[in-house]
Amino acid sequence: MGLFKRSNDKGNGGSGSASAVRLYYASDIHGSAVLWRKFLNAASAYKAEVLVMGGDVTGKVVVPLVERDDGFHVDLFGQRSVVSGEALEEMEHKIRNNGMYPHRMSGEELERVAALSEEEREGWFADVMRTTFDGWLALADDRLDPATRCFVMPGNDDPAGVDRAIEEAVKVEACDGRIVRFGDYTMISLGYANRTPFDSPRELTEEDLLARVVAMAEEVGDMTRCIFNLHVPPYESSLDSAPALDENLAVVMSGSAPKMIGVGSTAVREAIERFQPLLSLHGHVHESPGAEHIGRTLSINPGSDYHTGRISGCLIQLRGDSVRHQFVTG
Amino acid sequence: MSSTAPGLFTRRATGLVREGRTRDALFYNLLWSSVGLTFAFFWLFAAFYPGANALLSFLIAAGLGLPGAFLYAMLTQLMPRTGGDYVFNSRSLHPSIGFAGNFSYSFWLAVVIGVYTTYIAAYGFGAFGRTMAGFGAGGGWLSFGDWFSTDWGLFITGTVALLLSAAIFALGGMRLFFKIQAVCFGLYLLGAILVPVFVGLLTSHGTFVANFNDYASHFGVQDAAAKLASSARDAGFAPASFSLETTIRAVSVFWFIFGFIFSSNYFAGEIRLAKRTHIYSMPGAVVLAVLVLLCLVPTYTHVIGYDFSSQLGLADPTAYGFTAGAPAYPELIGIAAGSPVIGIIAIGGFTIGLLTWLPQTLMLVSRNMFAWSFDNIMPSKLSYVDPRSRSPLIAICVMLVLSIISTAIYSFTDWFSSITALLGLTLPLFVTAIAGTLLPFRQKALVESSPYSGKVLGIPVLTAVGTLAILGFGGAMAILMWDPGSGTSLSENAPKVALVAGVYAAAMAIWFASRAIRKQQGIDVDLAYQELPAA
Repeated sequence: MGLFKRSNDKGNGGSGSASAVRLYYASDIHGSAVLWRKFLNAASAYKAEVLVMGGDVTGKVVVPLVERDDGFHVDLFGQRSVVSGEALEEMEHKIRNNGMYPHRMSGEELERVAALSEEEREGWFADVMRTTFDGWLALADDRLDPATRCFVMPGNDDPAGVDRAIEEAVKVEACDGRIVRFGDYTMISLGYANRTPFDSPRELTEEDLLARVVAMAEEVGDMTRCIFNLHVPPYESSLDSAPALDENLAVVMSGSAPKMIGVGSTAVREAIERFQPLLSLHGHVHESPGAEHIGRTLSINPGSDYHTGRISGCLIQLRGDSVRHQFVTG
Repeated sequence: MSSTAPGLFTRRATGLVREGRTRDALFYNLLWSSVGLTFAFFWLFAAFYPGANALLSFLIAAGLGLPGAFLYAMLTQLMPRTGGDYVFNSRSLHPSIGFAGNFSYSFWLAVVIGVYTTYIAAYGFGAFGRTMAGFGAGGGWLSFGDWFSTDWGLFITGTVALLLSAAIFALGGMRLFFKIQAVCFGLYLLGAILVPVFVGLLTSHGTFVANFNDYASHFGVQDAAAKLASSARDAGFAPASFSLETTIRAVSVFWFIFGFIFSSNYFAGEIRLAKRTHIYSMPGAVVLAVLVLLCLVPTYTHVIGYDFSSQLGLADPTAYGFTAGAPAYPELIGIAAGSPVIGIIAIGGFTIGLLTWLPQTLMLVSRNMFAWSFDNIMPSKLSYVDPRSRSPLIAICVMLVLSIISTAIYSFTDWFSSITALLGLTLPLFVTAIAGTLLPFRQKALVESSPYSGKVLGIPVLTAVGTLAILGFGGAMAILMWDPGSGTSLSENAPKVALVAGVYAAAMAIWFASRAIRKQQGIDVDLAYQELPAA
């Protein structure tokens, strides 16, 4: 493919030198405005030269604020209230900080949306999310230092419009399905996941996932300074444990506790085992943070606690062919 | 697309409805809280609480634990799936305090595990052998059973149980553990709770005494109940009328249940919707435990009786033929039923409940160790997960060694009583209550964006509930430091109280030492907790 969006080497030496790059990786912020701002601020707080957002940037819930004669009616956390003026803005702020989208609408629009088919409503969701996401990207353009590289890719939960928004951003760089370079390092990225019980927007069969990763990896060639930025973690690792779900998407219990299973991708595991990159970065499984060596590859999943207002990330120091990491919660 | 609550639109996305069922979380909390073991404690210790009213004692304990259950439920909903009180306290107070609480809790769990292992030997396998002999299977069974109550019997049996627990993870990993656990909990509920209730309902005290005499006759003692009473009288037993003081002191035993009944932290959903699993399941488990005890206590009292249990606690066991020691409630239930089958079901259920607790505890503490390692406070080896079994084997091995040491202490010494660990386990809860009380002021944005942003009489609701939890946990600690039976009373066990404080202080020192060492290695531990600007 050879799709280098930018060739922005910073002149840190050739392939044999011990150039250093400080990278901050986070994933799965799921529409939390607080976490997006923290992600952008991580560059200066952690003195990171490269920021990587590993997917699932958009949220899952729209909270309608329905306009009536006495104000805007809202139902949040099971509590109904009527707000207007400053209280309305505070409520919207509260909703955004919980990773949800506040959306002002009339009673008629509410009924119209409620009556939409599943596919039609996914489209409506995408429009609502796109509006917010455009604002996020504008904030990034405003905040980011010119020397900072910031890569963002959509994850399996993100609708189609997210790609286009990233493409159009000024300082945020798209990386999904591409090979990008910074310093002496090469990074291949893929935001798709293997099949999930949730039928999310970006899912592929294991065969298709493997084919996409292999195509990029073969193009890179030298794996000694290559990073795999793959949203889904490798199967049967310490990075992919999640509760098993039944047909109603409820947690399957075993005795007194949830039954935990590996939900990672066999294709990702096979690709890591075959190509042995220096580092692989993953998200997707929020409840399975950790770091693990698969052969020579250090695989990392920082997990996600996006609903707590704190961003789970990992600071990575790349120096030559070596890598050191530290988990941070900001 | 699905609409999960009035006024909300949700979309197709992973993890959206991963919220544990309230029913499952309720049972998880109830089973973790060791109702069976606590029930055994109370009747084994009945002699130390003359005039105590068991019903009133456990209701007071439940009252002290209830605000804490509400607080933990609220904090868990606020910060789900993030490591329990380690996270609450780190964010609200200081990382060193969060670590110290978690370390201290793990330390005292390692201590209390020795209680479980030695009870498995004495009141599980030992009681099984004696039951076989008591129902006429032969004296060989008595020797077999009595061996388990010897010092080496306790230690060897406990150590083997621990090694088997660790082997479950090493050989079969979490999957094997969950399969075993599912079966074990069913047997525990049947043997340790349902069977004793039904035997208590259907059997009279007179029948029990007659059966007790028949049972002891196989050990060569006739009219054992009378000899028990005589020996107990010699030791100072006298029927006691109701005493409020001993009733309150006896709360320290039931605190074993109600202080620790909110362990379902894992059942967190990703989005704080209207469904409030934790709010229902944690305080709900307190109510459920009360209901279980409301069935167990009266039925047991009906068939065995408070005085008889007190006599068992005071008398010389050799006087009534039980040379290895007084029987615990599962063995007495078998005697009351006059059936070895019922006895073995009760003893088996009780033992299996204790056995299941071992790997659960190994896993819980190893998760804590994993978190410390994750934050660079402990060596990275502790977070090593074996790729085949998917288990943190090194952390489990560390906990295994600590547990064997604890088993040795309980087998060969009398340094600790069965409930000595309670004070050490409660101190971190007390600190969490302080953290919860202060959270609305320390993490204003987090709380204001949560379902608990409201106020009661001008006080943040978390602060109000936290204050009640401080009173509850503080009250329990006061009782533990007052009751000589707790093993941590200020009057008789001041060094143990100092040990509790010392472990906590040492853990804080470990945190600061680790930070200094990591700094020399080029790792800034503070970054792990540093709040990024959200503006």
